[in-house]
Amino acid sequence: MSSFSETLFGVIENRISPVAGRLSSQRHVIAIRDGFIASMPFLIVGSFMLLFAHPPFAANSQWAFAQWWLGMADRYAEQIMMPYNMTMGIMALYIASAIAYNLAQGYKMNGFMAASLSLMAFLVVAAPQTNKGLPVMSLGGEGIFTAIMVALFSTELMHFLQKHNIGFKLPEQVPPKIRQSFDLLIPIIAIFLTLFPLSLWIQHQFHMLLPQAIMSIFAPIISASDSLPAILIAVLLCHLLWFAGIHGAVIVGGILQAFWLTNLGINQQDLTAGQPVTHVFIEPFWQFFIVIGGSGSTMGLVLLYLRSRSAHLRTIGKLSIIPGMFNINEPVIFGSPVVMNPLLFIPFICAPLVNATIAYTATRTELVNHVISLAPWTTPAPIGAAWSTGWDFRAIILVAVLVGISTLIYYPFFRMYERQLLQQERETLTAAESA
Amino acid sequence: MNKILLCCAAGMSTSMVVQRMEKAAKDQGIELEIKAIGIEEFQQEIDKYDCCLLGPQIKYKLADFKPIADSLNKPISVINSMDYGMLNGAKILNDTLKLIQA
Repeated sequence: MSSFSETLFGVIENRISPVAGRLSSQRHVIAIRDGFIASMPFLIVGSFMLLFAHPPFAANSQWAFAQWWLGMADRYAEQIMMPYNMTMGIMALYIASAIAYNLAQGYKMNGFMAASLSLMAFLVVAAPQTNKGLPVMSLGGEGIFTAIMVALFSTELMHFLQKHNIGFKLPEQVPPKIRQSFDLLIPIIAIFLTLFPLSLWIQHQFHMLLPQAIMSIFAPIISASDSLPAILIAVLLCHLLWFAGIHGAVIVGGILQAFWLTNLGINQQDLTAGQPVTHVFIEPFWQFFIVIGGSGSTMGLVLLYLRSRSAHLRTIGKLSIIPGMFNINEPVIFGSPVVMNPLLFIPFICAPLVNATIAYTATRTELVNHVISLAPWTTPAPIGAAWSTGWDFRAIILVAVLVGISTLIYYPFFRMYERQLLQQERETLTAAESA
Repeated sequence: MNKILLCCAAGMSTSMVVQRMEKAAKDQGIELEIKAIGIEEFQQEIDKYDCCLLGPQIKYKLADFKPIADSLNKPISVINSMDYGMLNGAKILNDTLKLIQA
C-alpha cells in the first residue's frame, strides 16, 4: 500500500470515524433522525396521491386511458389531493411531534406528553388562527426547520422543569394518571411565556410568521444544498464513512433529510401551482440514482461477482443479489470485504460520484423529470426512480445506464481483486493436497 | 434457552443474519430466542437478553453500549465483519454461545 493511501485510511479511521460516531450517538441528532423516519410513512402515502392528481400525459394525448385519467384528475382534483394535503401538506406537524417524542424517550420522559407539547408550541408559532381557520401555509415544507427547533426547545424545556422539580406538588394520594395530567401545566404556560411572545414580536417586526423568518435565514443554505458540489461532498463523506466500516448513509442521510424534505416541499408546491419544478436533491434522487443497490452503488459489483471465477466472490454475489435489489448491501460491503480494502476503495468512492454527476446533469437538462414524490428506500431502483419522478419511464433507462457505467468503473478493480483471491484459493488448495 | 440480541443501524441487515442463526440453531438442536433491533432500542431491550451482538457497521457504538452492558453483566461484542457479510449464521452462533458461557 502506498504511503498516500495509508495516510488517507489513517485519517478516515482516526479522525472522521470517531467524530461521525459521536455525532450519530448524539441525543438530539438521533431524535431528529428518528423523528423523520417516523414521519416517513405519512409522506410516502401522501406524495403518492400527488402522482394521481398529475397524470404523466400531455393534455392532448390520443390514448383513451390517458384521457380518462386526465379527466378524472381534473374533475376530482380536490378529493384526490385530500390525502396529500393531510400528510405532505402539513408534514411539519408530524415532524414536530415525532422529534419531540423521540427526544423525550432519550431522556426517559413521557413521549406522548412531549409530543403534544411540541405540537401545541409549533401550532402557536406556525399557524396562529385567523378568521376561524388555521392557516396551513407554514405547516408543510416551509415549517420543517421551525418544527425541528420547536420540538427540541419544548422538550428541553420540559426536561429542564422536570429535572429541577418545577411543577405542581400534588399529595401522594393523587393517582399517578391525574398527577401526570398536571405535569404539563407548567410547560404549557412556559411556552406561552417564551415562544408566543417571540412569535408576536417577529410578526410585528417583520410582518411574517416565525417559519417564514427562519426560512429566509436558511434560504441560502437550502439553495446551496441543491447544487452539484454540495451533493458530491455529501456522497464523498457518506462513502468515506462506509469505507471505514461505519454506516455512513444513516449519518449523512439523517442530517440531509431536513433539506431533502424542504426541497421536495418546494417541488410539490410548484407542481400543484403549475410552475416549473426545479429542485434536484431529494432522497429518491440519492437512493435510486446515486447508490443503486446500496451505498457504493454496488449493484454493478454484485453483477460482476455473480460470474466471477473466484468461489468466494461468486458466493458473495449469490448472497447479495436479492438483498441488493432492495438496496441492502451489507453482505457485499462486509463479505467482499469492501470495508478497508484498498483495491476496492477507488471504485467504491467513484461510482456514486460519477452517478451523481450524470444524474444531476440529466435532471437539470430535463432528460428525466425532477423528483416530485417519495418512495420507500427499499424499492428496487428502476421502479423507485420511475415512481418518484412521476412515472417518468426515462428514469428507468437512466438507472440502467448508471448501473452499466458503475459496472465498468468496478471492472478493472474487481479483476485485480479477483486475481488476488484466485491466487489465495489456489494456494489453500495446494496446501490441502500436500497435507 | 439462549436469548441473543442483535443490534444494527435499522435492524434491517441484522434480520438477515438472524434468519441464518435461527436455521443453524435448528440444525444443531439448540434452543434459541433471538431478536434484531435498531440502535435506539438497545437500552430498553438489553435487560431481557443474555448477550448483545453489534453489526460491524455500528462498531463505534461499542464504547457507548459496553458500560451499560457491563453494569447488567451482559457480554457484548461486535460480529466479525467477514462472518457478517457472508451471513455465516453457524459461525456467529457458535461464537455467541462461547461468549455467553465465558
